Amino acid sequence: MKLMEYQARETFKQFNMSVMNGVVIDNVKDIEDAVGELQFPLVVKAQVQVGGRGKAGGIKFAENIEEIKPICEKLLYSDLKGHRVNKLMLVEKADYIKELYLSIMLDRLSKKPMIIFSAEGGVDIEDTAQNNPEAIIKVTIDPVIGVREYDAYYLVNQAGVDKKIIKPLFEFLKNLYEMFTETDALLAEINPLIITKDYQLVALDGKVDIDDSALHRQKRILDYREDLQEEELLLEARKYRFLYIPIEEDGDIAVISNGSGMLMSSIDLISKENIKVGAALDLGGGATADRIKEAVRIVMLNPNIKYVYINIFGGITRCDEVARGVKEAMKKTSSDYCVIVRLEGTNKADGVRTIQSIGSQVVSVNGLVEGVAELVKRRK
Amino acid sequence: MSILIDKDTKLIIQGITGREGTFHAEQMLNYGTNVVAGVTPGKGGQEILGIPVFDTVREAVEKTGGNTSILFVPAKYTIAGIYEAIDANVELILTIAEHVPVQDMMNVYHLAKSRNCRIVGPNSFGIISPGESKAGFMAHTIFTPGSVGVMSRSATNCYETVAMMTENGIGQSTVIGVGGDMIPGSTFVELLPLYEADEKTKAIILIGEIGGNEEELAAEYIKNNASKPVIAMIAGKNAPKGRSMGHAGAIVSADGTGSAANKEKLLAAAGVHIAESTVDIVDILKNIL
Repeated sequence: MKLMEYQARETFKQFNMSVMNGVVIDNVKDIEDAVGELQFPLVVKAQVQVGGRGKAGGIKFAENIEEIKPICEKLLYSDLKGHRVNKLMLVEKADYIKELYLSIMLDRLSKKPMIIFSAEGGVDIEDTAQNNPEAIIKVTIDPVIGVREYDAYYLVNQAGVDKKIIKPLFEFLKNLYEMFTETDALLAEINPLIITKDYQLVALDGKVDIDDSALHRQKRILDYREDLQEEELLLEARKYRFLYIPIEEDGDIAVISNGSGMLMSSIDLISKENIKVGAALDLGGGATADRIKEAVRIVMLNPNIKYVYINIFGGITRCDEVARGVKEAMKKTSSDYCVIVRLEGTNKADGVRTIQSIGSQVVSVNGLVEGVAELVKRRK
Repeated sequence: MSILIDKDTKLIIQGITGREGTFHAEQMLNYGTNVVAGVTPGKGGQEILGIPVFDTVREAVEKTGGNTSILFVPAKYTIAGIYEAIDANVELILTIAEHVPVQDMMNVYHLAKSRNCRIVGPNSFGIISPGESKAGFMAHTIFTPGSVGVMSRSATNCYETVAMMTENGIGQSTVIGVGGDMIPGSTFVELLPLYEADEKTKAIILIGEIGGNEEELAAEYIKNNASKPVIAMIAGKNAPKGRSMGHAGAIVSADGTGSAANKEKLLAAAGVHIAESTVDIVDILKNIL
């Protein structure tokens, strides 16, 4: 789960990392009170999870209270690249002498947390990684040893940053690593991490990604989920422990399967026929008839979907359960839809019999490829 | 011959008294797996399907000589179960649960290495050496004994491939569900040497997918060490651009690591036969066997 900027800022603060003074508002009337003791100039930052927020007009500067009001009025509840702005963060504008980049991420290669550090922080960090990879310093953390002072020395020396920041960087590293482990993060990124005129470090902006599988023990983070602007169908699917994945906006096919591997293979094969897939839904393992019924209903809530390809290779998922679920779902479905069902594995014969009994809208196919061929035929 | 599990494997089932545990214990017994013990804390002393149940893995190992354990327990309890099995010196631990927290798995991964213990999974269907033994929940009817080793990150793509192989009369030596999580207990590169050393295995199939760098590492190993033909299939060529991991994700994949194209390129350069989709794997097998 990816946190919004203000949520990341709160989390940095909670783990004793310096951030700029600021407030979050969701109501224009609150501005005067909210701004209170903050020192102008202030930065107004729209809280939406889109790339290129600044260029889209989501970040504005204000010198005084008269200036900030109209900015907030215009920005709050506006639409930024398809995302509604429900919250604004107002923070004091930073004075800095340099922008750094600092993150800890789970490194799949070493299977350890990895510190990434660069003196070239800011919006162009990805270009730096491409064009000047030596400017990016990477150090893995052995969980038994943790973060040590020598890490800070090493990073500062390798990146060629002023040695005055070794001590504050070490503090930041310790806190960021504590946050990384305590919050079950996959990524805790600060960009930019600024050096102020008196050689202190402050986190200006950040991205935090929390392991979805650990949310059950991250109560505080889980509360943040309500503020994320997630697609309705995704939320609906989550209620039933499904993963709904929007793909192409104008695709008219939804693929349902009992595993991400089979979903990807189905999408690969369908795409090869130059057909656009609109959405995919991962049932996970062991779905029962009740839940299958909901899965079919959920993908059909997407107004562009006309075809549903259900592709099951059941081990722990039973074909008879899947078929009964489809049958139930079709009782309430308009005749415009075409559903293609491929069943293989546990209790296949039973399942296929049920599928064949539903009616002409539902087609039983034998095999992944036959299903794709049927799909091509039906769409003509 | 086969790798990791065979007729002599003495299997312990952690969570044997649960619904899934009991159901699959019976499936495994019927297949011929040598299930020696079950473990459920608080239920020691009982018997299920004629199998003695113990409170702890240590007692199960001491009383029955069990050397492999499979966990039929929910994700929340999986890590505790793995720690217990490692501490009881079980050599091979299979874990099937989805949604095991990644940082827990990261810690367990390194602990297991230091204790010379092998973990397979999580988010895996288990391991089957067809005709000999199975430890997992795979639909075993699609498997048939033979000489092709298969390992897969995805269960469904693996079933698909194996079913087509069996239909075409091509059997399998050992099939391993590596699991689809970010940190698998055993990766392709750790399993390849076992297939390489196994006399029965004549060819190896690697079913990978986008993300991570396990396929890239496998390519490196194959280039330098593999004498047997390897076929690889990478799923997700048309998957939507996934959860990008901030700038850090772009930084670590600045060289292309993780994409299907990069994986296929490196594997092909290592002499691996690339299958466009699962459907093509059998055709390639027919040509090389």
